Amino acid sequence: MKSLVPEFEAMRARFPAGFTSSLVLPCLRRIQEERGFVADADIEELVACLGVPRIQIEEALSFYTQFRRRPIGRWHLQVCHNVSCSMRGAETLLANLQRKLGIAPGETTPDGRCTLTTVECLGSCGTAPAMMVNDRYVENLTPQTVDALLEELK
Amino acid sequence: MAGRQLLMTFPVTATSHTLADYRARGGYGALEKALHHMTPQQVTQEVTTSGLQGRGGASFPMGRKWAVVVPGDGQPHYLVANADEGEPGTFKDRWILEKAPHLLVEGMLLAAYALDARHCFIYIRGEFDLPYRRMAAAVEEAYAGGYLGNRISGTSFACDIIVYRGAGAYVAGEASGLLASLEGKKSYPRNRPPRLTVKGLYQRPTVVNNVESLANVSGIIAHGAAAFRAVGTEKSPGTRLFSVSGHVNRPGVYEVELGYPWRRFLDEDCGGMLAGRPLKAVVPGGVSSKVLTAADIENLRLSNEDLWGAGSTLGSGGMIVVAEGTCMVRLLQIMLRFYHHESCGQCTPCRHGTGWMHRILDRIVAGEGRPEDIERLYYIAKYNDGTTICGLGDAAGYAASGMLDKFRGEFEYYIANKRSRYEGRIECPTS
Amino acid sequence: MPDILINGQTVHARADQTVLEVALANGIFVPYFCWHPQLSTAGNCRMCLVEVEGRGLDIACNMPVSDGMHVLTDSPEVKAHRKAMLQFITLNHPVDCGICDKAGECTLQDYHYTYNGEPSKSVEPKVRSTKYYNLSNRILLDNERCILCLRCTRFTHEISKSMALGVERRGDVSNIRPVEDRPLGEDPYSDNIIDLCPVGALLSRQFLYKARVWYLQPTPSVCPGCERGCTVQIWHRKDDWRLETLDPAQNRSIARVTPLENPAVNGPWICNKGRDLARIFERSRADQPMLKGRPIALDAAIEMARQLIGAARRPVALVSNWASNEELAAFKQYLGTVFTSFVKSDCDPEPGERLADDLLIRPDKNPNTARARELFGDALPTLPDGTDLVLVWGEGCDFATLPRGARIIFLNSYLRPENGHADVFVPLSIQTERHGHYTNFEGTVSEFQQCFAKPDTVADAEALFKSLATPARAHR
Repeated sequence: MKSLVPEFEAMRARFPAGFTSSLVLPCLRRIQEERGFVADADIEELVACLGVPRIQIEEALSFYTQFRRRPIGRWHLQVCHNVSCSMRGAETLLANLQRKLGIAPGETTPDGRCTLTTVECLGSCGTAPAMMVNDRYVENLTPQTVDALLEELK
Repeated sequence: MAGRQLLMTFPVTATSHTLADYRARGGYGALEKALHHMTPQQVTQEVTTSGLQGRGGASFPMGRKWAVVVPGDGQPHYLVANADEGEPGTFKDRWILEKAPHLLVEGMLLAAYALDARHCFIYIRGEFDLPYRRMAAAVEEAYAGGYLGNRISGTSFACDIIVYRGAGAYVAGEASGLLASLEGKKSYPRNRPPRLTVKGLYQRPTVVNNVESLANVSGIIAHGAAAFRAVGTEKSPGTRLFSVSGHVNRPGVYEVELGYPWRRFLDEDCGGMLAGRPLKAVVPGGVSSKVLTAADIENLRLSNEDLWGAGSTLGSGGMIVVAEGTCMVRLLQIMLRFYHHESCGQCTPCRHGTGWMHRILDRIVAGEGRPEDIERLYYIAKYNDGTTICGLGDAAGYAASGMLDKFRGEFEYYIANKRSRYEGRIECPTS
Repeated sequence: MPDILINGQTVHARADQTVLEVALANGIFVPYFCWHPQLSTAGNCRMCLVEVEGRGLDIACNMPVSDGMHVLTDSPEVKAHRKAMLQFITLNHPVDCGICDKAGECTLQDYHYTYNGEPSKSVEPKVRSTKYYNLSNRILLDNERCILCLRCTRFTHEISKSMALGVERRGDVSNIRPVEDRPLGEDPYSDNIIDLCPVGALLSRQFLYKARVWYLQPTPSVCPGCERGCTVQIWHRKDDWRLETLDPAQNRSIARVTPLENPAVNGPWICNKGRDLARIFERSRADQPMLKGRPIALDAAIEMARQLIGAARRPVALVSNWASNEELAAFKQYLGTVFTSFVKSDCDPEPGERLADDLLIRPDKNPNTARARELFGDALPTLPDGTDLVLVWGEGCDFATLPRGARIIFLNSYLRPENGHADVFVPLSIQTERHGHYTNFEGTVSEFQQCFAKPDTVADAEALFKSLATPARAHR
């Protein structure tokens, strides 16, 4: 995390005085972008850098679904299973993915390539069914486009 | 087109979201007008007179919210654009963030001028990657173009916008939950009083407005409140962006002049039902609004008063269209699973009630429903109505009671026969 | 100054009060779990919902008073809502009452019987979570019983400021958890969360399964751990519930110590040292008067002491700052002119013990230095040349520092090797065996009451000093 400190200082300068606490979320996001997850050592260093109570960081990490404290597969397939996506085929899609990858939601393929999770509404209801692959939205999914995607991710 | 348009007034191209294109169509003219020819109080007055209602879900009069912030009280004021769009069925703020980001920037600048807010924030849900990048780029363009920072347009008005990303929590779309998140903490909503306009971000007066609400401000300032009021209906002035999804041929974001006939909107503008199926039901404004049947909406127009009269609301404008042959029990199961997943857990009725309702639906769907389950669901909904710290508990209750009010027979059938009347189908039947 | 109506009765309020505060101040009880007068308002339990005419229901703990408002605390709507809130709270709450230490003093039990009394409306399996979670070596956490009122986390954030507790995850799988780098055990005020917890989610390990609370009675006392003199309750078995046992000590033992609320001194809190008074008071007792280690009857010991006092030319007393106001007064009255007296410090801070802070803990780890110095001065004990008799009262004296030829009268309660070195040794009663008062560092006088009868063979200091003032038989 140390290499990110200059970036964090630049961030702090953009916020008004007294807003140090607000840096917790963007800093955690950057740490996770670099490492793939937030390590225990990162938490200690972030406490030292920002001076916020450590418990605040631990709570935020466990509250928000996008933060993780353990590494996952190289490709994170986050399939929306909320109302509109389900109405346009998300459940079938998810079942296919489970079969093709051989894992259930919450699991990672043995070769560490893909982690599959179900997520709530992504705000892509008009282009349903949709999923996120890492940071990217992949929308208007069909069995064919999903197969093509899995090929791409090999 | 579903009536007169105020926001979606330009063709979307590869560059229409840029500053250059925005200015070419008159963008930032309203800001110039306000900074050089209006006082902050006049800006607030114009917004109040326009009757603009919040477009996040509550339809609260925007001018009235702004008016609570006391000018010259010696405290910093903050303006926050709520771009946490998480209400299932809703994706219209995303359209603005991706396609018309400068509409939001200009609207925020006008609001900041009116509210004397030096620092503004756009809180974007963590998942929205492209919207975030577009918004961040637009803010950079605005700084470069002299619309943000110090001495804007040669006046003493200064304003900064920080684009802040969430990290995955529907409850961060609730205004006080959003501020908790913006303070770098878990997204626990707060009790009111005090109102956020009195004690909000770091206990300072803060206005939290929806993206679409702010996007309407530049038009109101540029063309005047009367011009805005001339569009829509008396109780629902202006237009609303509707996110249409579900069993329609042309899902997407549509701008609808309020008062436009509902069925015409579905049948013509949205291309009608998938596979020509008859309409069964519509969830009008995100899953937190009560479902209406095809019969209910037959003669309704899309307006606040029409929806309130029918016992529902325009909510977030997230319109989910349901075709005949869909199992409403399964739909409710998915909705309650959502609320259970998203409850922050702070207050008693929602923390336990959302889990309870979800488990009851799981049991019904698994064929283990009991006759008293329906009354149980109504009980849980009733005691989440008006008893919770924020609206999530109430919303979960509305989803359940709304479905039960309109489709009780389906639930009774499922319980009695241990199976769905419609084979558990939620995808559109193609035959 | 707004006037409001509660259940039709006019009550006066201050503009800064909430409806809950006004109701409670006027003897109108509104139930609550998460509210506490010393903590920020959380407003999460929703138990204090009241009805306001024309406005519907809202929580009273966060409701400002407004002139003329009509509040109803027992309307049918309010009653129905209270039942419902209890239905929700008990939805996943394990029915552990039979094995839960909190039974008998549990707010949830009390409210269930008062406001609900009906079985659960749920047929769903309860949500399970961790039980017997080791929060610290002093406190056990049961997440299933926890109702997430957040009093414990707010305490560590706002009062003890250890920031040691928080909530992991969300919804009905939320759990109270301690911060990972520093155990809650480092917070010297941690055990206050046990009192704060309205249910049996936070339990004292040292008290675990010791006794049902209705077998115990609390006796008001004062913690001797430092000069703050927090008032406490020492819990011990009621006479009616005496244990039938061969070991008398079991009926003379301290089951637990809790704070005795005291606005003038410690509010509702004490530090953990005050919880551990058994460590102080249940050390092995000296119960045998001795002459140079040889057991002797009390009368004979007292007579020998009189002789030593009569014969001494330069008698010095090292007075205990654990003595009560009454004992100090008695020493002053009966032996004040006989001895040159110094106040000694019975107890020094232990290694690692917090010295002082902004909350309760004070640097002087003795309960009555204030009154002792008032009576006997604050000069450090320096024995004048020619001291030939030292009366050592209480602990903390290193006998190696006493003059080689001086005779020693030692008055002490606990078993120590030095007891046998003294020319005369008389065992004394301890605080829990007497009634008395201490004066704290601010001059506040607090009372302690007797919990147990003293052993027959030990003396009460007050009576002893009066006896010692009588001249020895040989010199009459």
